[in-house]
Amino acid sequence: MATVKKHKHFGHFMLDWAAVIALVLCFIIFTLVKGKFFMSSNNMINILRAMSITTVFGIGLTVTMSTEGFDMSACTLASVSAYIFVSMYLWYGLSLVMSIVVSLLVTLVLHQLTMFLILVCKIPDMLATAALMFVHQGLGQWYIGGGAVSTGMRLPNGNQPVRTILGDDFSAIGRSPWIIIIMLVCVFLAYMFLEHTKHGRYMYAMGGNRTAARLSGINVKKTRYMAGIITAVFITIGGILVASRGSSAQVGCCDNYFMQSLAAVFVGRSVGGANRPNALGTLIGAMLVSTLENGLTIMAVSYYILPAVKGAVLCLALIAAFASKKEE
Amino acid sequence: MNKITLGTRKVTMQFPGVIALSDVDFEVSTGEIRAVVGANGAGKSTLMKVFAGANPGYTGDVLLNGEVVEIRSPLAAKKLGIQIVYQEVDVALVPTLSVGENVMLNDMVMHKGSPMVNWRKLHTDAKEVLDRLNIKLNTRVLVKDLPLAQKQMVLIARAIQSQCNFLILDEPTAPLSNTETEDLFNLVTHLKETENIAIIFISHRINEIIQICDNYTVMRNGQIVDTSPITENTTSQEIVEKMLGRTFEAFIPKEKVEIGDKLFEVKNLSGADGKVNNVSFYVRRGEIVGIAGLVGAGKSELCKTIFGAYKKTDGEILLNGESIKVENPSKAVAHNIALVPEERRKEGVLVEEDVAFNLSAANLGDFCTFNFLNRKKINENAESFVKELRIVTPSIRQSVKNLSGGNQQKVAVGKWLAADCKLYMFDEPTKGVDVGAKQEIFRLINDITKQGNGVVYASCENSEILSITDRIYVMFDGEIMAELVTADATEDIIMNYAVGNKAEKA
Repeated sequence: MATVKKHKHFGHFMLDWAAVIALVLCFIIFTLVKGKFFMSSNNMINILRAMSITTVFGIGLTVTMSTEGFDMSACTLASVSAYIFVSMYLWYGLSLVMSIVVSLLVTLVLHQLTMFLILVCKIPDMLATAALMFVHQGLGQWYIGGGAVSTGMRLPNGNQPVRTILGDDFSAIGRSPWIIIIMLVCVFLAYMFLEHTKHGRYMYAMGGNRTAARLSGINVKKTRYMAGIITAVFITIGGILVASRGSSAQVGCCDNYFMQSLAAVFVGRSVGGANRPNALGTLIGAMLVSTLENGLTIMAVSYYILPAVKGAVLCLALIAAFASKKEE
Repeated sequence: MNKITLGTRKVTMQFPGVIALSDVDFEVSTGEIRAVVGANGAGKSTLMKVFAGANPGYTGDVLLNGEVVEIRSPLAAKKLGIQIVYQEVDVALVPTLSVGENVMLNDMVMHKGSPMVNWRKLHTDAKEVLDRLNIKLNTRVLVKDLPLAQKQMVLIARAIQSQCNFLILDEPTAPLSNTETEDLFNLVTHLKETENIAIIFISHRINEIIQICDNYTVMRNGQIVDTSPITENTTSQEIVEKMLGRTFEAFIPKEKVEIGDKLFEVKNLSGADGKVNNVSFYVRRGEIVGIAGLVGAGKSELCKTIFGAYKKTDGEILLNGESIKVENPSKAVAHNIALVPEERRKEGVLVEEDVAFNLSAANLGDFCTFNFLNRKKINENAESFVKELRIVTPSIRQSVKNLSGGNQQKVAVGKWLAADCKLYMFDEPTKGVDVGAKQEIFRLINDITKQGNGVVYASCENSEILSITDRIYVMFDGEIMAELVTADATEDIIMNYAVGNKAEKA
């Protein structure tokens, strides 16, 4: 798409690349102030690791949002995926692969409910998924008996778990390099799907103009369903990453990732003048968020005012994103 | 009651590239019901919008009682006592508020005063207005629960509630049933008798006009060609002739194509929420079939029902003699049926996407290797169509939103040519395109039939239908009124059926 933009003047260029420019500025400032610490390879890996989970959830949201859909319940569903994943592994002693498979299956089954509300009952995405947040939270906590799933804890029915310690392979998923590799693979797959496959283009066509897409013979319901299913897969991956990184599935462990994942998608919308949710943009958005967090922490900014700074920078990125939209 | 007159002196209205009104002199006075008639694009709505303050760019004078007044905003029009009820009643009503609030809405907005709403007064005031008009409606009912005809009544009540000497009704009867139309006529006659008011009535239904109007004004090509009283001797034939005039548009030659056997047929098709009613017709190979009729006759709805975009309630669709099921557009495409819809920008093209993607959108699967897009194939396809259809674009990567209307339309057609369809339906394909692009679209349509494909051409431009089609079906109110062979048809004949006269079965 970028080739079309040859004639864009400077202002447009700045807006299109605002997120990237902000990212570069962050790097320059943090390097100037805390050069040695910030630019060390260890710290770079820290940033990548920290952004992985946000990115994976963001990618999931990107796919749904490419169809002009929305999924507010993405991260509450991810918590359920995490509960299932850890409980299968610890409580029932399933192998790591089997735990992942079962978690994925349960997530996909639960996601059918989302699709049912949106496609069959025709409830607007936002409202349907807002209601489902509570359903996911309640169902998930009922399953785990209200407490965390971690080593040394009994099952809700009082039985002893089959496994008492986490294997190395379990923990490796949440550490670098694996967590970073998984993130990059997710971004790559989503990028290939959205930009280079038929169904990916259908999603953007549908997101751009649902009626025109429908009258071009695109099956819009099927396309929306497919987007939902793909999102569910990324949701599961995100849930597994959270569990592995935290060595347990805490109650509502993924819920808090939603807002920043959403922010990553919105910041990424404008990257390169795409003006729609896109995989690479989401990666950059997530990177901006976690770089800021990391740099500010190194600069010994108190952790309790971090959200305000983070929020302010996000606002700036969003202003750029929507200012460019308005001009058209 | 003192008579008040409203008129224009040499009013001209220009839009980019079009003169919608030229030197119009018009006058109407209270106590009369005036019909304004004309073919589509004659300038009726443009003139009414001048009165309503919705066309602030007019030149010339608007006269109230012979004095020049400026109507440059809807508010100015309302202050002069000019009220308009547009055809799309839903845009003017707040569905979630009650009838009373909707009737009194102008009053609430215009009169500053206490910030508190006096509910009892609001409802009694509203009731009073409705009683004055003999409308029996509960003021506490929500507007969204009303049928369309009553929504219209609410709007008329709102207009009357404010100062109103001139009430413009823009095609009020188009969506109404017969009994609803009767109710509306009673209301209009009642208004004329009891209020100091002139009613300007726009309608395509000539018979209605003869029934209730006192005088009629005929417009054609942005000019007023005649104003006459309606007498017992006035015939619809006479009015239709004046509407059409004797001038015809530039003739576009139709090429001779051999017509084969039946390709496509619909039998007793009904659907689109009752806007398509028991329609049967067929298309043969190499044939161009015209669907004629006025705006709102159900032509678009018919095309979209066939295409699966609107729900079909009854009837059968046959392709090559076999019954096919078309539940949604995606099924229609699978059966090689194409639709070039009327609302090009909203429905026909994906404006945010580039030319190359648009030209492959209908059959993207053919440009893929294992579901992955093959850019080379897509670009080659786009290049060849851009050349063949003479689409003017700086590059195939240009977003379609930056192309002109005619070129967008070519993209909308090209998309289906790439998909190699059997039946092509065109819904008002020449709307908003210039003469040059029009000719090219006709050339395209001729080419389609040369390959033995069928074409359905729906348009309210009768001259176009006459010059390009082989046979014509005329629609009115969702039904087919007549089937004509183009060689024997004239604009008069089409118009006669289009205003609701049914052909006698031979």
